[in-house]
Amino acid sequence: MATTTATITLSSADLLSDNLSLSSTMNLYKDGTTATGLEQMNYHRLVIPAGTNFDLIPESAALSEDASYVYIINKNTVVTDYVTISINAEVIGRLYAGDWLFMPWDCDLTAADNDSSIEIEADTNSAIIEYALFHNGETLATAADE
Amino acid sequence: MATTTATITIASSDIADNSFSVSNTSTIYTAGTNTGVTKTTGLGRKTFATASNTILLDAGLSGGIAQDVTADKAAKVYIKNINDRGDGTKYVNILLATTEIGRLYGGDWMFIPWSAGDGKDIEFTAYDATPTTLEYIVFYE
Repeated sequence: MATTTATITLSSADLLSDNLSLSSTMNLYKDGTTATGLEQMNYHRLVIPAGTNFDLIPESAALSEDASYVYIINKNTVVTDYVTISINAEVIGRLYAGDWLFMPWDCDLTAADNDSSIEIEADTNSAIIEYALFHNGETLATAADE
Repeated sequence: MATTTATITIASSDIADNSFSVSNTSTIYTAGTNTGVTKTTGLGRKTFATASNTILLDAGLSGGIAQDVTADKAAKVYIKNINDRGDGTKYVNILLATTEIGRLYGGDWMFIPWSAGDGKDIEFTAYDATPTTLEYIVFYE
């Protein structure tokens, strides 16, 4: 097993009348285990052309009903640039330049349109994206020339 | 304006041949600007004891806090399952309206943008009716 941690720190000195400081660390464990870490990950960096909704992380049977975690960051620097993240035509939200998300992903193959892929669309300008998927296995396609 | 930052660090010394670490800090701005958001729900904590689908953040209401979360802007949501992990078989499914996002096991957290808007509620379904405690905060404009 591997030990992978994800830590978030939220802080502000002036959003409230007193300091906001919140920090939390979690371990990325496999489903149904007390403390067995996920051992597989994908890390990508790519340019998303503007104006088309793409499958960023396609669904697969091996990822279904399991513990997977997704990290996505928009590396653009122009503040008006954003990408829209969605699942099954349901828009989660927009990642503006510099924004990131970290979330669990169940890859629900029973979804109404049978599509629980994580989708991305860049608005106006192409977007440089980095993303990671921590998972417990994925379905590999048999080579066509096997 | 206010300056609110969100920092993530993902680290592992053994998931790959070499140590893996990625860390980034974003400032939570209003949509398309360098102006920090000035509104938040504050940190909330609530315990639920139900296995039924339940609304955590009700978007598109005609009153209350959620009314103020403007749709299709730059809102961000943090949610943490405060429960103990236990044997790792119990979790809460987090949904956006009827679409499942993923499972938060005990101790897990998530941080996502939220398009909000009418009907775009953030909901959850617990594995069973064992009391589940969630912490949450929304930053919005």
